[in-house]
Amino acid sequence: MKLRDIISPFYAWKRAFEKPFTIMRPRTDREGAPAYRGFHINDLGKCVGCGTCEAICQNAAIDMVELPGQETKRGDSGLRPSIDYGRCCWCALCVDVCPTASLGMSNEYNWISDDGEDWVFVPGGDQKPWDMSEKGYRTTDESWLIEPVRASMRFVEPDVRKKNFDEMMLGYTTEAALEEAARCIECGLCIEACPTHMDVPQYIKAIRDGELEEGLRILYDTNPFSESCGRVCTAHCETACPVGAQGRPLAIRWLKRYITDNTLDIRDSILETEDIPATGKKVAIIGAGPAGLTAGFYLAHYGHEVRVFEQQDKPGGMLLSGIPEYRLPDEVLAREIKVIEDAGVEIKTGVRVGKDISARQILDDYDAVFVSVGAQIGTDMPVEGSDLPAVHIGLDFLDRISKGERPDIGKKTIVVGGGNTAMDVARSALRLGSEVEVVYRRSRKEMPANAEEVEEAMEEGVEFNFLTTPEKMTEQGGRLHLTCRRMRLGEPDSSGRRRPEAIEGSEFTIEADTCVMAIGQKVEDEVAREAGIKLDKWGNFEADQERMTTSIDGVFAGGDCETGPDDAVGAIGTGKKAAWSINEYLSGR
Amino acid sequence: MKDTIDKIRSMFDGGDADEKREDLVFVTVPATQVVDCLGYLRDRAGYRHLVMISAVDYIERGVFQLTYLLHSYEKQNDIGIRADIGRDDASMDSIHRLWAAAQVYQRELREMFGIDFPGSPRVDEPMLLEGWEGIPPMRRDFDTKKYSEETFFPREGRKTADPATHMAEKNYASEEQVKRSVKDLVRGRRKRKGNDG
Repeated sequence: MKLRDIISPFYAWKRAFEKPFTIMRPRTDREGAPAYRGFHINDLGKCVGCGTCEAICQNAAIDMVELPGQETKRGDSGLRPSIDYGRCCWCALCVDVCPTASLGMSNEYNWISDDGEDWVFVPGGDQKPWDMSEKGYRTTDESWLIEPVRASMRFVEPDVRKKNFDEMMLGYTTEAALEEAARCIECGLCIEACPTHMDVPQYIKAIRDGELEEGLRILYDTNPFSESCGRVCTAHCETACPVGAQGRPLAIRWLKRYITDNTLDIRDSILETEDIPATGKKVAIIGAGPAGLTAGFYLAHYGHEVRVFEQQDKPGGMLLSGIPEYRLPDEVLAREIKVIEDAGVEIKTGVRVGKDISARQILDDYDAVFVSVGAQIGTDMPVEGSDLPAVHIGLDFLDRISKGERPDIGKKTIVVGGGNTAMDVARSALRLGSEVEVVYRRSRKEMPANAEEVEEAMEEGVEFNFLTTPEKMTEQGGRLHLTCRRMRLGEPDSSGRRRPEAIEGSEFTIEADTCVMAIGQKVEDEVAREAGIKLDKWGNFEADQERMTTSIDGVFAGGDCETGPDDAVGAIGTGKKAAWSINEYLSGR
Repeated sequence: MKDTIDKIRSMFDGGDADEKREDLVFVTVPATQVVDCLGYLRDRAGYRHLVMISAVDYIERGVFQLTYLLHSYEKQNDIGIRADIGRDDASMDSIHRLWAAAQVYQRELREMFGIDFPGSPRVDEPMLLEGWEGIPPMRRDFDTKKYSEETFFPREGRKTADPATHMAEKNYASEEQVKRSVKDLVRGRRKRKGNDG
């Protein structure tokens, strides 16, 4: 043995008084890297409970759970993700797929608990030290799995389309439809928003799978006017779509249209209504609008004998007379109504209840009656000069155009109002060759018209005069002089919109050839008076919200005449509900 | 770096350069040229350090894209050589004779993607997945969710809700009932007809 072998163990002692390399207690934790994928954080105010994080999680670590304080409302399921950290592998797919960008990850990775149950919690709901962490992983434009941009729709350029009443939207190509359908996250938040609760994710999936026939069947499950809705629906579903939080919502309406546009040849064959056993019960429907015809369509499926009375020469109601052809061509509506007639619904046009046949008579002859007369009377403004010949009512104006009239309205038209009817009137007047100026008493933000409608009107060259109201109209030298007053917005009123107030001394005059008032609609009460059906304080038919029953046994009401002026899909929803309720009634339930 | 890229393109049929940063460029070459190209880069162009080898499964195109990342200490920049190989019976020439360390990456690619590197030492020995059966887990057709459902037992007491169903129960329960009933009606008629026919 060498001397060195004996001495070398003591060699280590030379470092005995140096600073040690080990870490002193209490231990100082090292912070995670700035983009570290640590415990999740969730902004509960931004999260809408769509459950896409749960769907993508490859370890089934996420559950959607109810949380106190989170309400189930339009566009928000009220559920929030709960994460099981016994399963989470920190891959961050949930963060990358979150459409609202509410879900993120902190850079915190140190946390100790002996209780296994502590490792399942709702980020943001169960408070944790890292909830306010600015650091950690967030998705970026590059890693985000949501496609925020819509597949583009073919349309006619504003300069061309404003010269005629031809349809302006041309529909999706298959390529564009597949591209758009691929953006859907299948959360189903849209279903609640739809008045007739269409199964939107299911029919979008049918498009993706190339199963258009199944897609069409899904549409007819809840809505016999899908082709029209695919063009003119107010699309509450798109407002609720979570993809809209950080991008453009799914073009649900256009996808629906894609299905109907591409299944024209099989439409007749999917509904097999010939061999339905008849119940022998007779149902009368007053008014062949979307509510009445929807009710008729489903009532026929129950096997009841359905007869619809319509005062106009053609069925369709507001879909026909209230919506111009450039948005909804007549033949589209006609072929949808033909399917309804083929299902066994008899439509008697040119019959006015109260004149050609009494309401009493109908009540006696039929086992049940559904009143869906709509809100057909356009209201005018109580201002001086509103009875001048150059002043028209919006609904009457649209009705004349839908019947093929092309009235000479001169070079300049003023449209009063800010709703969808006002937009339809303005754009129709433009197509008749007139300059158009819309006068609205609130600002653009408060307009009840769909933003898309307003945009398209602006593209076509409709001028807008916001915060303005007409006070007086006179005719001078063959022209109309509108004395208007400027408004300002005061406190919000009962509708939540800020109430307009007149500004003193702000009067000015606009000259025009024609003025159209599109400021409201009300219900024709002839049927109600004759049959003795109770109306509410706004003059609408009073009906039970679940059963659509009125004050008279066997009489049901729905659509605009019951809700007040609303959109087509709302009418379709109540029509469907009424069909079910009438069948319950006829079955003695 | 530009000269080197031009050389790769002319000598080894390289495609267009994909310049990610000033000091990081990727070039795709045919799989058969990879070993020669890497040898050239190591011995003639100064890219002596093999940073890593990795793969991406482009299942749509039916290929694995291999990436060999090299670093030059002199030029302080990186070149990535990419090559596509077929997904079926995926196999690639080994480069363990150029860099002994490559055998570790190749063993890992064999295990995670099922790409064979004949001749590479210990290439068939597992690194992580002892006793693994079925397709390699990094392949896109591997169903991760199914695997975790089958492998890991569920925690007791967990429950979840479907957002659409939950909203129906909470906000429009009676209308949902109407919807189901009408849907059954419309569908039921068709089914009956179908059965008869």
